[in-house]
Amino acid sequence: MTGPRRLSSDLDALLRHVARGDREAFAAVYDLTKTRVYGLVVRVLRDAGYSEETTQEIYLELWRSASEYDSAKGSALAWLLTMAHRRAVDRVRTEQAGTRRESRYGAANVDLVSGPAGDTVADSAIAADERRRVLACLDALTDAQRECIELAYYGGLTYAEVSQRLATNLSTIKSRMRDALRGLRNCLDAP
Amino acid sequence: MTEPTDFELLELATPYALHAMSHAERADIDRRVAAAPAPVAAAFADEVRGIREAMAIVSAATAAEPPAHLRAEALAVAQPDRTHQLRWRTAAFVSAAAAIVVGAAAFGVGVLMRPHPTQTVAEQIMTAPDVRTVSRPLANGTATVMFSRDRNAGMLVMNNVPPPAPGTVYQMWLIGSNGPTSAGTMGTAAVAPSTTHMFNNLGSSTALAFTVEPGNGSPQPTSAILAELPFG
Repeated sequence: MTGPRRLSSDLDALLRHVARGDREAFAAVYDLTKTRVYGLVVRVLRDAGYSEETTQEIYLELWRSASEYDSAKGSALAWLLTMAHRRAVDRVRTEQAGTRRESRYGAANVDLVSGPAGDTVADSAIAADERRRVLACLDALTDAQRECIELAYYGGLTYAEVSQRLATNLSTIKSRMRDALRGLRNCLDAP
Repeated sequence: MTEPTDFELLELATPYALHAMSHAERADIDRRVAAAPAPVAAAFADEVRGIREAMAIVSAATAAEPPAHLRAEALAVAQPDRTHQLRWRTAAFVSAAAAIVVGAAAFGVGVLMRPHPTQTVAEQIMTAPDVRTVSRPLANGTATVMFSRDRNAGMLVMNNVPPPAPGTVYQMWLIGSNGPTSAGTMGTAAVAPSTTHMFNNLGSSTALAFTVEPGNGSPQPTSAILAELPFG
């Protein structure tokens, strides 16, 4: 499917305009990416207020640092979502630094594939077949691989914390994470 | 030949790309990649890039519609003209010297981080590494402060907050250990559907509070606090 690729080439062009201070391009970037960005943030933070604040910070960073985006190093969408994920993870770690570790592990139990139906959307920018394809690829991982991705990517745990949480040695966790991503990339036909 | 330590480094590309490690470990890996043979560094970068592209596609699985009001708040940062104008309109409570010091301190960092010469105080706050955001309901709208302790400054963005009743103002207070200090007022004319306001000296204050005050404002709050935004 060309959905995400076409979105990304549009974003490439828009980001060049944003880098020159074009506010309309900035608004267009927001409209094209808001469901992916906010959806990822809220999945990590699991709190509407924190997610709104963090989403604002993400677009603020986009506005000020669009000129740093280098299309030779990857797609615009990956650049934005990498930054969004980093901010969400930093925030979840900050918020949970003062609370008991257990509550964080509890919050990290994310049912990725079936997910709560209520907080997802049928977005015109994200074709239903793309979404189905992604869910099928996640479903094709082994349970153990998916658990690693859930805890680390959506739960904000470090791989060392995933290892402790699952009482599994570090090298097994590293292999599992690597194999999970290889499987996902093959299934998604991502370069 | 790939050394065992190179192999170990490449294996860490996955948790690195997924942000599944501490900042300290991340910095350590950055150093090791920089010192690694070029083919190893290139393989590491390729792996990280591939994982990020894959997770960008995977974001379709978690897509969720943000609340409608977030659009105006997120886009408000891209209003340099309005910010600039209000910055001067509200300059009465800011000493010019403090503004210059804040501007000069931010300039060195801003030049490194962004080639654009359009550095408003708002952008200086945004470029601060420690920028944080806090939002609270205010009247029927939302008050959001982006602030930086490093820059000793903050930017208030109010969305859909109705103007105060005629003959009164919204007064802002920085709450410190010695109680509230006035941080400016906004009359009926100053409150638009989307309004920004700069704070150039947060000092050791722990929160921003709003009250409604008669006339042009009061030396101390005379009514209940409408909203309080903690700088925690």
